[in-house]
Amino acid sequence: MTPRALGSLVLIVAAAGGTLPAAAQGPIRIGASLSLTGTYAEPGRFQSEGYKLCEKDLNARGGLLGRKVEMVVYDDQSMPATGVRLYEKLITEDKVDAVMGPYSSAISEAVANVTEKYKKVMVAPLAATTSIFKKGRRYAFMMVSPAEVYLEGLVDIAAKRGYKTIAIINEDTLFPKSSAQGTEELARKAGLQVVFKEAYPKGNQDFSGLLTKLKASNPDVLAAATYFDDAVAIARQMKELDVNPRMFAVTVGGDIPRFQELLKQTAEYIYGSSQWEPTLPYPGAKEFHDAYQKEFKHEPSYHAAAGYAGCVIYAEGVKKVGTLDADKVREALLALKTRTMFGDYQVDKDGAQIAHKTVLLQWQEGKRVVVWPDDLANGKPRFPR
Amino acid sequence: MSARRPMVLVLIAVGLAALAAYPTVGTGYGVRAMLQLFMWIALAGSWNLVSGLTGYVSFGHVAFFGIGSYATAILITRAAWPWLPASLAGGVAAAVLALVIGYPCLRLKGPYFAIAMLGLNEVLRVLVSYFEGLTGGGLGLSLPTLQATLPIYYVMGATAAAVTLLTYLILTSRFGLRLMTIREDEIAAEALGIDTFRHKLSALLLSAVGPGIVGGLAARDQGYIEPISVFPLATTITMIVMVLFGGKGTVWGPVLGAAVLFVFQEAVWARFIYLHQLLFGAIIIAVVLLMPRGVLGLLQLKYRLPRTI
Repeated sequence: MTPRALGSLVLIVAAAGGTLPAAAQGPIRIGASLSLTGTYAEPGRFQSEGYKLCEKDLNARGGLLGRKVEMVVYDDQSMPATGVRLYEKLITEDKVDAVMGPYSSAISEAVANVTEKYKKVMVAPLAATTSIFKKGRRYAFMMVSPAEVYLEGLVDIAAKRGYKTIAIINEDTLFPKSSAQGTEELARKAGLQVVFKEAYPKGNQDFSGLLTKLKASNPDVLAAATYFDDAVAIARQMKELDVNPRMFAVTVGGDIPRFQELLKQTAEYIYGSSQWEPTLPYPGAKEFHDAYQKEFKHEPSYHAAAGYAGCVIYAEGVKKVGTLDADKVREALLALKTRTMFGDYQVDKDGAQIAHKTVLLQWQEGKRVVVWPDDLANGKPRFPR
Repeated sequence: MSARRPMVLVLIAVGLAALAAYPTVGTGYGVRAMLQLFMWIALAGSWNLVSGLTGYVSFGHVAFFGIGSYATAILITRAAWPWLPASLAGGVAAAVLALVIGYPCLRLKGPYFAIAMLGLNEVLRVLVSYFEGLTGGGLGLSLPTLQATLPIYYVMGATAAAVTLLTYLILTSRFGLRLMTIREDEIAAEALGIDTFRHKLSALLLSAVGPGIVGGLAARDQGYIEPISVFPLATTITMIVMVLFGGKGTVWGPVLGAAVLFVFQEAVWARFIYLHQLLFGAIIIAVVLLMPRGVLGLLQLKYRLPRTI
């Protein structure tokens, strides 16, 4: 047996027998599984780049607790079952020191059971469904504002302008559905009358039937809880069918540059919600944007910013207590109140986010303009005619 | 043959004992990966029962998995059933569904069954989204938190073993011979006096129970289900590929196929994220071109192994 073959054999045996105990001052390893392939690949990759940039920045500033930080990232193929298995692998085989959340509410919901079992703090930067955090879980933390308030700005502006009626449509999956339900509640509270409400299945492409019915109810405002493809299709078909509410907003999709590239003039006046924009006056938002652009050669989305901020928040908690001990870090994260490049962070006693704001954008002359809330806005909403 | 028999039995017993003892030495991940492997063995073995033996290809077998998941999750959340009887009820629900779809479709010969199964899966997904009062619709169903991975490991393993044993019993019975006659030539089977409809339907019912139970166990273990993740076409495709690889119409083919492909996937996809789907596709093509009867089929031909392996 050649020395090299012997060496690789030893390596294989070592790998099979589990990882060797790390030296006391080895790197702090943080594990995560993300949707790098499958349905959620697009946002999942942004989030993973956010984690990577955070790793780089932490190390540039001397690491965490004087140790280097190393991210261990796997692909969960956008499947909850795979995510569950991978977190189990990260924790019991790779023996990572800490974990960060996966992409999407559905996968976060599934893997939270594993991280709870092993008492690992998990900051879940892209789980926007509050119910995940309201099940007595102790170690899960939410970063973004809940699905229910994505269109708070739309309802607020409409009510202030004296509009009376609203129509609400949504894709029939966990996140858009929660979003539509929340919007309905907010609208009722603001005194708007819900004149039309309907859901459509995931992957739907023909909205003409739905829009014709919607047109008959003649709403002042249309709220659509969407992902990207459906948002574009709805905007196009509204134009074709001449459906013209005074205000039209989509939840996800309206914030992505490609939305305007595909729709051109049709995107004008359309509102979209966003968890984050590089133009928002948060400390370090612009620096993050520039560093990201430099590192990955493309613009960050809010998923990237949320991933980065989630990792920063976790590091903040660890620094506060000077240890990786889950119970102590948990206490620190529950008490923490801060503003990062991503916006405000504060959670209630269950770890659910209560401070972060979702802003409302409007496409004006081909540009995204933040129109709500007032203290973060860089423009005023415009109305057709 | 008869001299070899006790040897085989001893081997199987040792294997089962090792698997039963595994959780005492394995890591959390190892146990969960084995649990998943049992799931695939049960799924592939079940698909083999109907499609491998009768030749009626089911393109929607994941429908039975899905309905088992939902039946179990609904019984646990709405009726507070313990998970074990709820999972068994998932198997019953799947059998009922098989009866409903099989009764009209299997009266016909030819590809109608394959198409109907494909449609069935899509219809179920829409129905589950529609009856949201019961199923939670697009919001999904969240089960109460429970750490039961270990007992689920044993029940999942028992289900996989039961499906494999059932395949052996059928293959060595007159019932199995009749099913294979249908596969080879259905008209001739009828001419021999075989009630082909009743035989095909029985095979479908038997092949639905396993996925139903396994679906229920997976739902309980995962703690959260939604229509999209419970009815994916990809699951059916994986079952089919596993059986084709191992050898369709054999006892150990699905076990071998599930084990090899699952381990392969686990090992490869962590390292080559974007490549593994390509590799998976290449395996399918290679199997179809080079050994259309699968690994075991090839061995049976070459070394004259018994048909009941």
